[in-house]
Amino acid sequence: MNKGREMATVERARPAAVPRTGIVAWLTTTDHKKIGILYLYSSVAFFLLGGVMALLMRAELARVGLQLVDRSLYNQLFTMHGTAMMFLFIVPFAVGLANYLLPLHIGAPDVAFPRLNAFTYWLYILGGLTVMSGFLTVGGAAAFGWTGYAPLSTATYSPGAGPDLWIVGLLLTGVSTTLGAINFLATIFGMRAPGMTMFRLPIFLWNIIVTSALIMFTFPVLTAALAALFIDRNLGGTFFEPAAGGDAVLWQHLFWFFGHPEVYIAILPFFGIVTEIIPVFSRKPVFGYKGFVLATLLIGAYSFSVWAHHMFTSGAVSNPFFSATSMLIAVPTGIKFFNWIATMWRGSITLRSPMLFCMGFLFMFLMGGITGVFLASPPINYAVHDTYYVVAHMHYVLFGGSVFAVFAGLYFWIPKMSGRMLSEGLAKIHFVLMLIGMNLTFFPQHQLGLNGMQRRIPDYSEASGYEGLNLLSSIGAGFIALSILVFLVNFFVSMRTGKVAGDDPWGGHTLEWATSSPPPEHNFHRLPPVRSERPVYDERVKLGGRRDRG
Amino acid sequence: MPSAATLRSLGIAVFVCLASGGCAPQAVTEQGRRINSLYDIFSVTAAGIFVIVVGLITWSLLRYRSKSEEEIPAQTRDNVPLELLWFAIPQIIVVALFAITVSAQEDVGAQSSAPNVEVRVEGFQWGWRFTLESESVTVSGTSDAPPKLVLPVGRTIAFSMTSNDVNHSFYVPKFLMKRDAIPGEPNRFDVTIEEPGTYPGVCAEFCGLLHEAMNFNIQAVQPAAYEAWLNEQRAGNGNG
Repeated sequence: MNKGREMATVERARPAAVPRTGIVAWLTTTDHKKIGILYLYSSVAFFLLGGVMALLMRAELARVGLQLVDRSLYNQLFTMHGTAMMFLFIVPFAVGLANYLLPLHIGAPDVAFPRLNAFTYWLYILGGLTVMSGFLTVGGAAAFGWTGYAPLSTATYSPGAGPDLWIVGLLLTGVSTTLGAINFLATIFGMRAPGMTMFRLPIFLWNIIVTSALIMFTFPVLTAALAALFIDRNLGGTFFEPAAGGDAVLWQHLFWFFGHPEVYIAILPFFGIVTEIIPVFSRKPVFGYKGFVLATLLIGAYSFSVWAHHMFTSGAVSNPFFSATSMLIAVPTGIKFFNWIATMWRGSITLRSPMLFCMGFLFMFLMGGITGVFLASPPINYAVHDTYYVVAHMHYVLFGGSVFAVFAGLYFWIPKMSGRMLSEGLAKIHFVLMLIGMNLTFFPQHQLGLNGMQRRIPDYSEASGYEGLNLLSSIGAGFIALSILVFLVNFFVSMRTGKVAGDDPWGGHTLEWATSSPPPEHNFHRLPPVRSERPVYDERVKLGGRRDRG
Repeated sequence: MPSAATLRSLGIAVFVCLASGGCAPQAVTEQGRRINSLYDIFSVTAAGIFVIVVGLITWSLLRYRSKSEEEIPAQTRDNVPLELLWFAIPQIIVVALFAITVSAQEDVGAQSSAPNVEVRVEGFQWGWRFTLESESVTVSGTSDAPPKLVLPVGRTIAFSMTSNDVNHSFYVPKFLMKRDAIPGEPNRFDVTIEEPGTYPGVCAEFCGLLHEAMNFNIQAVQPAAYEAWLNEQRAGNGNG
């Protein structure tokens, strides 16, 4: 292992024939940090794009009647909102952060396959633009939901180029994600610094290991399903055509066999972020390291057996089996919760911005986790499936959970990436606005769903009585938009005038804090010895007590 | 003026609802009421878990705030018995919730071998066709003119869902029940309506442009009125 690493280092030390600068350097880079930053910028751009679509939908739903968009555009909006957020934002954001941190975390100069890494980034961009280009076609973008249920997604019911661009774009992004996962695993297994044993890896990387494994086993299934759908649409196939001997339920099985592990792909890295941040701001080691690892592995393993809880109302699956597995998967998540609390317990907690967003994550994800257990019970599921209750649940998990962790991670690591601190004051305003907005938007949707408001509708009747709660929800969306604007202002102002971060502004634990901010191209001038999962903390203690800077 | 005890129990009920997202409306079918009581048990459990976890986090935040820059708390790494405990307790809770789920599912999903009324529900883009085969009555309607199906209270009604185009889902919020109409995939549920009234229904599975307008109404009446409606339909050769 170490020999391989040294060879890689020697190879990288060879100077490039022509030094590249400016935009060319960014376009041709194979540096994991630059690729990571490109990923982060691009994924946040897709987040903003998906967010604008969400705002349009919330504006339309605020009042009875169709005021802003027509039905066709509305259907495109919710389809592309889901697609952008799931495939082009949340997963690529995790990939970007892992790209940046992974080699730093294990004390390596880069990932195992730097050129493959650059290829995965550009493939993702190509896929993302292909998906979005559907809006430019005559028939508009795909309009059958991000879940693409057949037969609605077949050529008979969704003709046009938009759906084909959606399929091809997702195929490209899917291949990109799969290649990236292989690269991560190869790097973690092959390029760890001396002393960095598997049980000294930052917990974030354990989450990346399990996430990568899930990607490798499930994205090919999505690829196959998309290929089959493409064949049905364009080459006369009948995979999903019941009249010709195909099976409409097959799509749901294939999609959710990918789609439920995908939900964990979209949350595990963010569990990892939270698990890195809470110990630093509690001034304690993470409580129950092996418990975290075990819980992560269990979630990964269970996630393959829960997919049909999306299909309880189809009458085509064994409801008790999938109910049992779906409830069981709450247990390892519960372990994580208690371990997070135990990490804070008797700690010395400072509520700096990253920690603040982690606390937001804990409260919001708890809510999403609890409603998840409700949904795992088939009789309750019969009532609330495909209603706004599910919309509320998934946004508590993915917005309250993942997106709060996204910002925790950004506030925590942007100083490392840029060398400058973000404003704590603006961060707090961002946090408060987002917390209020999040709950105003999504909490009333639980009740809307229980009352019977179904998903994916551009309008509702006066008599339904849904208007009040919908208006509340739309006002909440405005708060979220405002909070994101505060973040953007904070980012752009702080990048110019923010306080200089120094190597280790937070009193960090892991190896990225042992190098400069931003790190040099080869990452480390010297590595501290790795004797625990907190090498930087250990060295600080050795050098005479703790020194929290910043 | 409500008594203190009433106010207290109302307060608890509101809290339980908030901790679990919301309150399920009271169902009008026997099966739906079973779902109501299951939902209530889940809500109380959820509220308990919510209070404990939120309490622990809040306590940590209030009690263990850093007092000085130099403070170094005890570097506790793990506590295996404690971890086993919070592995075991959630496990027991979900096993219990699963057990009551299975028992509720048996009641809710029970299918009568001889239902009093059999309704074939056909979803199409964009409307519904309801056929009472044994009575030779069909009602159908589209997004412009939603169909109205009259059904008797106190009788076992079996709905069988089908579709010939895309997936739909037959959903009556006041039944707390929906089932998908998937081409080539038979699907069925039985209910006994307990309260007369008119209950709006919708399509819950996104099915294209006019998905949101795919409405229908179910009017539950006394059996005698149901018979009269059937005769009226047969005489008028159906209304659609």
